[in-house]
Amino acid sequence: MSKLYRTRENTVSAVDTRTQLSTLGSETAPGPLLVPQGVTKITRIIAAQCFNMGAATGYSALVRLEGPGLSQGPECIGIGAGGVPVATGGNGVNKAIAIDMEIPVIPGNEILIFGEMCGTDVGSSEFVVTLVFE
Amino acid sequence: MSKTLTVEGDIGSADTRTLLTTQGSVTAPSLVVPAGMSKIDKIIVACASEGLAAGAQSYFLRLGGNAVKNGEQAIAISAAGMIAVQSGSDAAPQLMPAIIMENIDIAVSPSDNLTIAVEGAGTDTGTAHAVVTLIFA
Repeated sequence: MSKLYRTRENTVSAVDTRTQLSTLGSETAPGPLLVPQGVTKITRIIAAQCFNMGAATGYSALVRLEGPGLSQGPECIGIGAGGVPVATGGNGVNKAIAIDMEIPVIPGNEILIFGEMCGTDVGSSEFVVTLVFE
Repeated sequence: MSKTLTVEGDIGSADTRTLLTTQGSVTAPSLVVPAGMSKIDKIIVACASEGLAAGAQSYFLRLGGNAVKNGEQAIAISAAGMIAVQSGSDAAPQLMPAIIMENIDIAVSPSDNLTIAVEGAGTDTGTAHAVVTLIFA
């Protein structure tokens, strides 16, 4: 079977707070991210995040995977870090990173994706995460 | 044997599915899967914003159309952030080298049409520009 790509995104605006990625741009309620039928594992995660540089400080960014679709329980992955010395004039872009892995999944069950900014509140950070099922 | 298909375009509004239908000087490239091809094997993609508005946005690709056998697939590309500069100063540019995603393996049917869209989610950071190359096998 070919690979299947499922994506969610959201804004993370509170520090040290799990924030569910539950939207997909113009789709404000895409529904639960259910493990597709016919797949057995997540073989890759593709993720990007960037902050709005609204406060002069630094942070790191985590992606958490949780829910009954993960047969071995939750996973947590660091995907980046950043900071600015002043809260004016910052501008930047981060390309997505692809992480190959092998996480067993249970078809028909939900996976919840969370983004989290750690350290000091930098304003807000935008996360987008793709799960690749196989 | 492989075959490429490249499109590009401006992403002008946040949370808006924006179809990429042009290829620079070629204003209407074919979006038909070439004959003899059965899957998208690689994707080369980049998307960055001009940074003319303060905010943070993430960008993702949507591959759909009746050529995609298992329905629309959505894939993360990048994320951008910008905060307004002090009066009289300038901000750095946003520069994103293209990502090459290998072994993508999205099943497609030859001679059917693709839709290729990019969407920027979050708070508008100004107009972005995206370029997407699909490599079929």
